[in-house]
Amino acid sequence: MRRAAVIGALLVIGAMLLFAIGKMPAMNSRNTPDKTHVIPRYLEKGEAEGGAKNIITGVILNYRGYDTMGEVTVIFSALCAVVALLDREKRGLSRSGPDASGVRSSVIVRTVVRFAFPVILFFAVAYMMLHGEGSPGGGFQGGAILGASVIVFTLAFGLPESTRRMPLKVRIPLESTAMVAFLSMGIIGLAYGVNFLTYLLPGVHGAMAQTVRNLMLTVIEVGIGVGGGVIFISIVFAMMREDKYELQPDVPQP
Amino acid sequence: MNFSRMFHNLNYAVSVLLFLMGLYTVAVKPNLIKKLIGLNIMETSVFLFIVSIGMVEGGQAPIIVEGVKSSQMVNPIPQALILTGIVVAVSTTAVALSLCLKIHERYGTLNAAEILGREEP
Amino acid sequence: MNWTLNLLLLLFLVTTAAVAIRLRDLLAVAIVFSAYSLMMAILWTQLRAPDLALTEAAVGAGVTTVLFLITIFKTTRRED
Repeated sequence: MRRAAVIGALLVIGAMLLFAIGKMPAMNSRNTPDKTHVIPRYLEKGEAEGGAKNIITGVILNYRGYDTMGEVTVIFSALCAVVALLDREKRGLSRSGPDASGVRSSVIVRTVVRFAFPVILFFAVAYMMLHGEGSPGGGFQGGAILGASVIVFTLAFGLPESTRRMPLKVRIPLESTAMVAFLSMGIIGLAYGVNFLTYLLPGVHGAMAQTVRNLMLTVIEVGIGVGGGVIFISIVFAMMREDKYELQPDVPQP
Repeated sequence: MNFSRMFHNLNYAVSVLLFLMGLYTVAVKPNLIKKLIGLNIMETSVFLFIVSIGMVEGGQAPIIVEGVKSSQMVNPIPQALILTGIVVAVSTTAVALSLCLKIHERYGTLNAAEILGREEP
Repeated sequence: MNWTLNLLLLLFLVTTAAVAIRLRDLLAVAIVFSAYSLMMAILWTQLRAPDLALTEAAVGAGVTTVLFLITIFKTTRRED
């Protein structure tokens, strides 16, 4: 009975949406107003105003910088919510379910991860975060790949090994670098007397202005990347952890 | 039925279909993790719809390199908006899964009908 | 844009979504959902959005799937 009512409602909604789609112009056409009026302005002036060859990086850091600041706030509050729900990591060894059973990953997995992990890290930092303005990439992509690489390491080697290499006192300062990078670059604009998050400062001219803008954009990107990556790592560590196991009496306390 | 017109708008139609499938999962299936999967399918279908609007025939990626004129590029603005959207989707999923863990700890089950049944006064 | 590849990708997308909704073993649902993320990432490449393809591949396969697997491991594996 309830399923029939839900399916009926969905068919009505689907009919309305498909009717609306029938009125839309064809997908690849070039005559729609957004493609004749809006896009050429952003594509032609995108590099000069945005400051990056990758126009999307220019849009998210310059034209819509506040939205990116809001995104950083969202992911940071997600981390706060997860840690608030799942209890702070107490002092002592963190164990997860698979570690306590005593079965390790096979030799093949461990060797491959040991070779692949630095390559992935290098790719994430050097190709995505630092060169994000000239090629596809950017801050958040590098951060997600960095987080994913540490997650792969944790899955292959176990949670105590990973927590030993990235303990809580290393992760806590790094989690807030995204927001700190944004606020510090934004306040520089305020200190010069122009708007918050301005990259073209009134005191510098000529080629120096381009250098300063590139530097500020790189600082923000690296901040978003490192912050986002460590936030993902902390979320996965918080969810993997089990505190119900009794610690052995001779486990060394860090 | 204009088939070439339907081919041209196929991305839109598939995104509506995926949205309805996700909505059906959230409304009907009792398991909480299934509902989260349905929610993720709904979110990605909306992303597909918005980015498909900006597609141009024979267009190139919006990155300025040698030999690509700016009149041949696709629309960069929906892509920048959806980048933020993907981050918000994964944050929502992380918080929702932590809530599922806590609910399982408290009630011993992840079936929404059973949990609501136990909460009745 | 390659129509054949686009059509195939959309077909795979709908198929993996339908299978993910229909299965009752939650571990299999998580893996099929990771395949859905992969299809979506290839679709972003077809729509000429390289930044979105990178983000969806890293986040969909790297983070969301692992979170689902951790939750399913710690709670029930069957749906009922």
